[in-house]
Amino acid sequence: MQNGKERQEFLAKAKQLVANIEANEDVAAAELLSSMSYEREESLFNEVGQLTRQLHDNLADFSIEGQLSSLTDKGIPDAKERLNHVIDMTNEAANTTLNAIDEVLPVTAELQESSDQLLKKWNKFIGRELSLTEFKVMSGEISKFLEASCKNTKFVHTKANEIVLAQGFQDLTGQIIKKVITLVQDVEDSLVDLVRIAGSADQPQAEVNNVKGVLEGPIVPGIEVEGAVNSQDEVDDLLSSLGF
Amino acid sequence: MKILVVDDFSTMRRIVKNLLRELGFTNLDEADDGQTAWPKLKAGGYDFLVTDWNMPGMTGIDLLKTVRATPETANMPVLLVTAESKREQIIEAAQAGVNGYIIKPFTAATLKEKIDKIFARSAS
Repeated sequence: MQNGKERQEFLAKAKQLVANIEANEDVAAAELLSSMSYEREESLFNEVGQLTRQLHDNLADFSIEGQLSSLTDKGIPDAKERLNHVIDMTNEAANTTLNAIDEVLPVTAELQESSDQLLKKWNKFIGRELSLTEFKVMSGEISKFLEASCKNTKFVHTKANEIVLAQGFQDLTGQIIKKVITLVQDVEDSLVDLVRIAGSADQPQAEVNNVKGVLEGPIVPGIEVEGAVNSQDEVDDLLSSLGF
Repeated sequence: MKILVVDDFSTMRRIVKNLLRELGFTNLDEADDGQTAWPKLKAGGYDFLVTDWNMPGMTGIDLLKTVRATPETANMPVLLVTAESKREQIIEAAQAGVNGYIIKPFTAATLKEKIDKIFARSAS
């Protein structure tokens, strides 16, 4: 809006315009009118310019552009890598588990079959229905069965431990998914703030993500974490360089 | 030997306990973060602590620092088993007095190796 001085000048010009028209000074009246409308336009442009600058400053102060572009440039592609890695890890764990079971099942089937056959012979022996020759055969079979049992139960035990270890995916994928949930929350918050800033002249304070001190969680292929080691060997080397 | 296994993921606690049992350790207890672990450790009776780093409530590194700062637990061997792989964190853990550092995912052989090393050291 015009201030008092501008209003006075505007009123003086309007009076001058009326005077010019009454005195039939058409040329002067036209010039005055044109100069007045030019001033109006100029002041409108200035106001639009000011508003634009203010909006730009608001956005810059709020750093919403930075936040959003960092989320779209880095956050979202990282989230894709992370989720792809979750698929890979669950796939690997499922395959490790199923492979171990595939290897164990024939072994337990074989154990069961040998036990069944031996049990039948053993019951015949208990019932005194076994000849000496058959007993000698059975003795040999029992020896072989016991040997195979030792070997096979050890094998089943090893495979069971492989299955146990494969379940570690639950912890690691859980940590990765939690990070993606945080990212989705950040995107949501930024969008809500963007809507708010576009809808009002408020200047909410930007909450700058504190990068230092954040725990990175599991290693995700394709996502470079500055200063991270890539293997247990590197951890051991680092610790031994520190005198461990 | 009584061991306390601390991790916020119950599956990981089961895995670590299972592997420790395989190595012959049968007296095992667990806690889901530093906050629940510390009262147990403070009450005494534990000989070895295996802990994760990133946990809600109280992190593994804070638990380690608390253990070292308390005379009754200051000499307890502590093994960190964590997904955190930044050099600065490994160094921080070393400076806080950790006895071993394993990054997840890990193998049964790695766990055995680190535990053997810790006890060989504490025996000498």
